[in-house]
Amino acid sequence: MQLTLQTTREDHRIAWLAALAITIHIAESALPSPIPGIKPGLANIVTIIVLMQFGWTTAVWVALLRVVVGSLLVGTFLSPTFMLSLGGAVASLAVLGVASRLPGRGVGPVGYCVLAAMTHIAAQFWIAYWLFIPHDALFHLLPVLMTAAVIAGLVTGVIAHAVLDRLSDTDYGRHPAAAAAD
Amino acid sequence: MTRADWVIVISAVALLPFLYALYWGNAAPGDRVLVLVNGKEVLAASLATDQEFAVDGPLGTSHIKVHGGQVRFTDSPCANKLCVHTGWLHHGGEFAACLPNRVSLVVSGLNNRYDTINF
Amino acid sequence: MTTGTSPMTANRVTQVFRCAVSLLAAALIVTACSHRPHEHHEQLVVFGTLVDITIFDADDESIARASAGITADLNRLHRTWHAWETSTLTAINDRFAHGEGAIVDAEGMRILRRAQELSIASGGLFNPAVGKLIELWGFHQDDAPKGPPPPAEVVAELVAKNPQMSDLTFSDTAVTSSNPDVQLDLGAFAKGYAVDRAIGIVRAAGIENAIVNAGGDLRAIGHHGGRPWRIGIRNPGGPGILASVEVTGDESVFTSGTYERYFDYEGTRYSHIIDPRSGYPADGATSVTVIHTNGATADAAATALLVAGPEHWANVARQMGIENVMLVDKGNNIHMTLKMAQRVQFEGEAPSVVIVADPP
Repeated sequence: MQLTLQTTREDHRIAWLAALAITIHIAESALPSPIPGIKPGLANIVTIIVLMQFGWTTAVWVALLRVVVGSLLVGTFLSPTFMLSLGGAVASLAVLGVASRLPGRGVGPVGYCVLAAMTHIAAQFWIAYWLFIPHDALFHLLPVLMTAAVIAGLVTGVIAHAVLDRLSDTDYGRHPAAAAAD
Repeated sequence: MTRADWVIVISAVALLPFLYALYWGNAAPGDRVLVLVNGKEVLAASLATDQEFAVDGPLGTSHIKVHGGQVRFTDSPCANKLCVHTGWLHHGGEFAACLPNRVSLVVSGLNNRYDTINF
Repeated sequence: MTTGTSPMTANRVTQVFRCAVSLLAAALIVTACSHRPHEHHEQLVVFGTLVDITIFDADDESIARASAGITADLNRLHRTWHAWETSTLTAINDRFAHGEGAIVDAEGMRILRRAQELSIASGGLFNPAVGKLIELWGFHQDDAPKGPPPPAEVVAELVAKNPQMSDLTFSDTAVTSSNPDVQLDLGAFAKGYAVDRAIGIVRAAGIENAIVNAGGDLRAIGHHGGRPWRIGIRNPGGPGILASVEVTGDESVFTSGTYERYFDYEGTRYSHIIDPRSGYPADGATSVTVIHTNGATADAAATALLVAGPEHWANVARQMGIENVMLVDKGNNIHMTLKMAQRVQFEGEAPSVVIVADPP
């Protein structure tokens, strides 16, 4: 018996982009981190580029696939790490959704990345406090975490800006992965 | 960078000092002592700074000393000096009181090891 | 991507406005963090002691309501049940001394019946009928007595009168004593009852997470935001903390100690906890900590078990249905029920000997 799935061009695009995000996600999880819980969030670059090129719905698919498949591959599915990852992704997607609905020139890559990074960390902090470490001392970490989020947001924003600049001459619509890796 | 980008980045950076003030405020991030007269807070001080306070109650002046991260009554205008005999306090949730003079103190902080003390 | 340089138009104004809106989204996320549920302390000087109320995550209005309610109720209880200042209780004692019954309101009946039950369950070791003995030892005053201890024959005479809670009989509205030497002193029970009342008031104000600590004895409900309440137990007689226990849901932690009120006379220490059988201060244990849901029960049991001492406390605990007990004897050895041993965390170096009795 043969099972045939009808796939659209949009599905292929999501699969390609998610694959790229997952690769970055896994590569990043292998990097040593100076402070536990602080990561640059490089995979967010893909989310922001997708948001700006293909719209919010595609960005949601790519980000959620990245969290679920990435955690399956790293082996943290349904673990506390996964809950933090998912919570951060859902919250930042919600904020990006609001920000991307602004008409006119709206927000650029740097603004999106800073918003996403800050929301990500704020949501993760909240989940960690309520589910795992309900200790008031955790609040001492919040300013440090938010500082890291702003810096990470700026760095990823600048990278996303550079990538988008290069993409503007490229036929990114058909080969997004290849274009982004350019 | 669009205008919105600038607004987001500037306000994000401006927010950080506010966060530090909020969660790292009150000098050291350690324990504090609250001093109350008649159950109303009259002062709050960090246990990280050695200092002495004179607090007025109905009977007179109670003397409170902060030293080496601990706090105690050193004198109070009461007959049996139970407050002074209570000695040094430093655990979160520990409290002492001079009931006749209505002056009480309680150790409180973000890192409370205990919420309250049974004795 | 650079900002445009066209002159200010209506379009630009709305654009700036929209930037501000998107900013608001970020600000909202972060302000959500700064509104953390917080711990609040109320301290009330009532009931002849300092009542420290710790509340987690409640609004100011509920806290103010609870605080005012507790102040009023504990002041009322203090006036009603004071053992030596003129009160409803001293009026009852006067009637008993004259061989007469006393009219008591519904709450008074409940309190006295409960005290009688607890006294009988403790085999008379918790005995609120021995007010005369407490007075004889000089503990019916705010300041610590100076001594000397009362003459042995006077003590023996009072003990021989054998005042017991079982001497009381209750009608619908009145209580009578068949023994004119019964003089009630609810010192080892009233604080527990008061803490129970205070917790009732806290709950009625809609507060779910709180500790009411009346001069060291406490009842805790709920939790501290996802983690249990952590209670430190002070080292009896010494500085610092002996141990800690975690409490969730609804439990009272009461400690009776010989160090709480005492006087020293010619090298001997006399504490305020009088063994009703001998008429002399209880001598075997330094302190007893009891954990039980009901504050009044925990209060009475802590006193009864201190009087029972290291030899007999386990039997009395069994009779009274108390499962969590920690007793510190004169040699600083710790005696515990198995249940208590499973909950207690010692601070610093563990004490020399831990004797775990059979669970009751």
